[in-house]
Amino acid sequence: MRDPYQVLGVPSTATDEEVKKAYRNLARKYHPDNYHDNPLADLAQERMKEINEAYETIQSQRKGNSGTGSGYSQSYTYGYQQGYSGSAAMQRVRMAIQRGELNLADELLNAQSDHDAEWNFLKGVICMRRGWMDEAKRYYQTAVQMEPGNSEYQRALDLAEGRQTGYRPERYGSVSTGNCDSSMCLRICSIWACCSLLSGGGGYLFCC
Amino acid sequence: MFGYVRPVLDRLSPEEKTRFQGVYCGLCHTLGKRFGWSARLFLNYDLAFLAMLLEKEPCSCCRKSCMVHPICKRPCANETSALEAAADLSVILTWWQVQDGIADHGFFGGLKYRAALLLLRRAYQKARDNRPDFDGHTQKCLQELATLEKEHCASVDAVADTFARLLAGAANGEDDGTRRRVLEQMLYHLGRWIYLADAADDLKQDLKSGSYNPLPLRYALVGDTLSQESRQELASTMDQSIRVMAAAFELMDYGDYSAIIESVVYEGLYVVGSAVLDGTFRKRKKKEKKPNERRYANA
Repeated sequence: MRDPYQVLGVPSTATDEEVKKAYRNLARKYHPDNYHDNPLADLAQERMKEINEAYETIQSQRKGNSGTGSGYSQSYTYGYQQGYSGSAAMQRVRMAIQRGELNLADELLNAQSDHDAEWNFLKGVICMRRGWMDEAKRYYQTAVQMEPGNSEYQRALDLAEGRQTGYRPERYGSVSTGNCDSSMCLRICSIWACCSLLSGGGGYLFCC
Repeated sequence: MFGYVRPVLDRLSPEEKTRFQGVYCGLCHTLGKRFGWSARLFLNYDLAFLAMLLEKEPCSCCRKSCMVHPICKRPCANETSALEAAADLSVILTWWQVQDGIADHGFFGGLKYRAALLLLRRAYQKARDNRPDFDGHTQKCLQELATLEKEHCASVDAVADTFARLLAGAANGEDDGTRRRVLEQMLYHLGRWIYLADAADDLKQDLKSGSYNPLPLRYALVGDTLSQESRQELASTMDQSIRVMAAAFELMDYGDYSAIIESVVYEGLYVVGSAVLDGTFRKRKKKEKKPNERRYANA
């Protein structure tokens, strides 16, 4: 196993508070919400496991030595809320998606004649995993419209509409396309001012 | 189509800025060494970004002078296999884009593209021999794109998918399975984002010339621009791609280029995307050219 301090990116002399802060930051970074319907979710899950183990190791080491530390209970756990399906056919589609067999899942869905809320939701999941975000959002919207009370569909739609902005490193403020304040626009100018020195079309306009 | 991917220089330390400049100059020198001077004319930021993504070795810089900087030597990354790969891909991508330009324009409009083809022919032949798989893949994806364009496809996801897969093909040379998956995901969404940004940037021109553009088929327009609401919707789907890129970015180690790539996926793309949607990106490009040209004339 890797050195737990190295995993959390802190020196072994770090205080409990610093360890906790580093752990929290990493846990936010690899939080399941950031990898919702993402084909790389398994890699994030591995990272999360490693971080949890490192934190727990440090906690128990320190507990043994000095009697401080807050125990394991605060570890974030990584797990997907598994939805339930009304029909066996839909369950098969969910299993195929879980295994990453998106083409098969799509074929199974296309063979269905009843396009109910769950059908639209699962279509959305497949689109999301393929990176077809615009269509995914539209399928999720239809699913939510057809069954407004369903929390699984609502959550997927919220994430697809970017209502939870997800992890950003602390030094970067919140930013989205079409929504930047005036200080940001100043920064654009500076990018271009500097970049035009660097490039300028084909690189001839360099000046020393 | 290229030139949208830029780091936010404010965010970088002086050493990181030097590294970025080093990759840019390194790519230019690599292009020159492998393909001759003509290939260097088509250098751009997006390919420098690709080189940083593919790079596995620590950054080693020297200082070199060149035709453009004959007196002051510039920081220049030493040639690595990632730079070589980025140089090959750059030539192949440019070649097929230029072919596309000929198909889109009439005889006179296509003249400058034909001239570019003449310049690039030998470079392309060499790059194709180096990476036949990527060349075939690029050709296939662009053919699919052309078919969708002919059908006036109204799904932005479907058209963007062809270009996204094209770029994701650049990850194919990676041997390590995990790295390849992460890179594929990053490049897919980079390609998707570039396609959408380019469609938004070209919207006015395409409406005037009657060329295909997926945006008016999917979103509501007011006059020759997107309505406020559709602009927000497009921005939101572009942001989704950037967020997926950032999530993938966090799963891999990029060595010395981490900070530069981080500033692209957490800020640079948003800033450029905002400028494109405001319509200020093109204007700035023109403005930016003028003082440079004057400087060149004086030199």
